[in-house]
Amino acid sequence: MSEKIKVLYVDDEPDNLMGFKASLRFDYHILTAVNVPQALECMAAHPDIRVVFCDQRMPGKTGVDFFEEIRIDYPLPVRIMLTAYTDVESIIGAINKGNIFRFVKKPWTEADIIGAIEEANKFYIANSMLIIKNHELETAYAELNKFAYSVSHDIRGPLSGILGAINLASEIDNIDEMKEMLFLMEKSVKKMDAYVISMHDYYSLQRGELKITDIDFNKVMDELKAIYTVLAKVKDVTFNVTIKQNGIFRSDYAPLRLIFNNLLSNAFKYQDRDKKEKSVEMIVEVEKGVATIYVKDSGIGILGSHVGEIFNLFYRSNSLEVGSGFGLYNVKSALIKLNGQIEVQSVLHEGTTFKVIIPSI
Amino acid sequence: MNKGFSFIIIDDSELDRFVTQKFLERTHTSRAIKAFHNAQHALDVIGKNPHVSELPTIILLDLQMPHMNGFDFVEEFEKLPPEVKKNYRIAVLTILSSSNDPTDVDRIQNYEAVHRLIEKPLNKEKLLSLLNQV
Repeated sequence: MSEKIKVLYVDDEPDNLMGFKASLRFDYHILTAVNVPQALECMAAHPDIRVVFCDQRMPGKTGVDFFEEIRIDYPLPVRIMLTAYTDVESIIGAINKGNIFRFVKKPWTEADIIGAIEEANKFYIANSMLIIKNHELETAYAELNKFAYSVSHDIRGPLSGILGAINLASEIDNIDEMKEMLFLMEKSVKKMDAYVISMHDYYSLQRGELKITDIDFNKVMDELKAIYTVLAKVKDVTFNVTIKQNGIFRSDYAPLRLIFNNLLSNAFKYQDRDKKEKSVEMIVEVEKGVATIYVKDSGIGILGSHVGEIFNLFYRSNSLEVGSGFGLYNVKSALIKLNGQIEVQSVLHEGTTFKVIIPSI
Repeated sequence: MNKGFSFIIIDDSELDRFVTQKFLERTHTSRAIKAFHNAQHALDVIGKNPHVSELPTIILLDLQMPHMNGFDFVEEFEKLPPEVKKNYRIAVLTILSSSNDPTDVDRIQNYEAVHRLIEKPLNKEKLLSLLNQV
């Protein structure tokens, strides 16, 4: 183990404390306190204490009272009674009120204490893991709830629209009207398709190990450039990519591509149709093992009050039905995976710049 | 009886707005149809423009929209002065599913302004039944 287990021992006899510390300090990080106030101070200063030993008979408060008190504020550290008094009353109190893990009788042997600490530590780890797992489960459930909502809106919504259009089709004789409707239906189908793809991205990001390889940003961008140059022509947007890579950069290709793809896709998606000069600019700079990426657009911008929310799952800032609410959430998840950061600067009606910083792994 | 209704469509889906509008045009009863993708814009128009028909305007409202959703819209609508409110009937168009919170559906029907709930997708029968009722 790299770090020693932190153990607190509370006893009103300084000699006992000294003896305890002297024989155990090589194996454990021993903290001591001669009274309850000092012990509470110590617990507040060291939230990572794993095991607490306490004497039963102390002036002021008994060991049982002390344990009963810390149980509420510090539920995790494992409580062990270390005492010469073995009257039934105090044992019952220690178990029922202090909820102790072990009872060690004085005079103790080193083997008694080490055995108790090791067992207590296992118990502590199991409990901590349980709390972490519980927390993960709660998060997963919360996302599942959002997910159920989103499935009804983002999959059943377009589906019911298409079904409505099919109902209407039998009433339409005008071929132009029909074409217009088919065009809108196509948009709905494409939107659903994009939604399913990002849902897949979302799950592959949540699970799975990193696959680290050497990254050549020129190659990464060649593929994306091919896609977005076509889109730039269709949408009449000036599209520029600048890459300066000095040195080797190691990272996972898939999340990296996902980040680039989502940011570029947004940059094109949220252009201002009425603007004459539309542009998207991407700059990649790799220097000393850190990649800094800028994606700038001349688009509609993000309302100041929405900037804080754009990375949330299923958040859509624009009332036009273009976003699924997955994109930037996936970007954020991918960046967490790659240990990266993202900043956004946006001026409404002028444009948005995303700045991404990713360290080489 | 069904002559000269005005309609306001509020839906963030372009296809749904199109389909609803075309169905309305085909009932040959509509005087004017306005469509909004943003509920706030619709609310602004309703609040400002004076009503010039003896027949009520029917608002076809989608529930799930970004920004101001159907619930928010109805809540804001309820705050309008009674002389404005009396000129409108709201019909909520929504997808009903098991993942929908049933209390949501109950909640929206509790509003005085909400005339009825129609399950998406819209078709001719549903629309005619609505018009006969209003």
